[in-house]
Amino acid sequence: MTVAVLEKQLYDVLNAVVLKKMADISAISEATARDDEDVKTAMETLGERSLVVMVGESAMPTDEAVAALVTAAAKHYDEVRQDTVIAQVADKFEAVNQRFLEAMSAWQQVDVGGRKVANDHQDSSYDAKIIDKMDKLVSRLNRQLEVLAERDPRFGTYSTRFDRAMCLVEGGEIDYVSSPTLDSLHNIWFEFHEDLLRTLGRARKE
Amino acid sequence: MEVVAEGYNTFETHKSPRGVVKYLDSPQDVISLIQSGTLTEYILLVRGGTTTFLAPALSTGAIGVITMSGAPESHLGILSREFQTPCVMTAHLTNSDSRYEVGNSDEAHFDEIAKTLEGMTVQLDCAESEVGKVIAIS
Repeated sequence: MTVAVLEKQLYDVLNAVVLKKMADISAISEATARDDEDVKTAMETLGERSLVVMVGESAMPTDEAVAALVTAAAKHYDEVRQDTVIAQVADKFEAVNQRFLEAMSAWQQVDVGGRKVANDHQDSSYDAKIIDKMDKLVSRLNRQLEVLAERDPRFGTYSTRFDRAMCLVEGGEIDYVSSPTLDSLHNIWFEFHEDLLRTLGRARKE
Repeated sequence: MEVVAEGYNTFETHKSPRGVVKYLDSPQDVISLIQSGTLTEYILLVRGGTTTFLAPALSTGAIGVITMSGAPESHLGILSREFQTPCVMTAHLTNSDSRYEVGNSDEAHFDEIAKTLEGMTVQLDCAESEVGKVIAIS
């Protein structure tokens, strides 16, 4: 049986569900810059195609979701994948990504006499250095996001989310650095990385 | 009590969760486990630190995780510290010479670990800074 390739709106919604793993309608709407009603309609269609399942108020992807996205991405992003400028953006990101992950681990744990212990966030100068490093890395990524957004505007939503999270962090709400339950810098970064890999048909380096 | 596997400890903790090892291979495995209401009975075994489909299990109360590849700096390592869920990464069997190598480990490496640990009742010991231990208790 031939399965229809997901049209772009369904791709965007399903992609957001897969990136977030578990998300309600409003979170998907924000990530896709679409109205709640459009997302609800798309979600119903995706449910009928057994690509998402609702667990309470949250949508989760089924086993078939990623395969459907991979097939659709190959079609929707064929031109982007041939674009040497985008290939350079992706290559640059890999280096920035490693530095971001190291900064995130340094945010969570500090080295005390060779032992890693949880950062209790009592040393404000230490935290400020890490936040400054993350700010620079996010700024570098934002320049890459601008290039990507010229090919697909949905990549612009990441810049909006980064700006908001960074403002909150700099305003003292430091949970927005790494909390897995907020739209934190780490969550946004991770979603972008996975999104980029799928868009370009690349494999994640372990 | 025997140490059956060891790996990188993602963070030092005196939490020492105990449960039956359950291998999760797909998003559907995670959905089924969450919906079963038995999530906290299991220590979750997954293939890698980039096994992103595990995130919902962590946010809904997973008690412990073992991975067969990946580093503590990976996404899953970062999440395990955020959720304070003990996690042993790139675990290897203590009675086997097989070790994970990036881009150079075949299926047999993962199969051996999954087949050995799945269904075993274990306790995670993550009290040391660097090394996390998987201890068989039955």
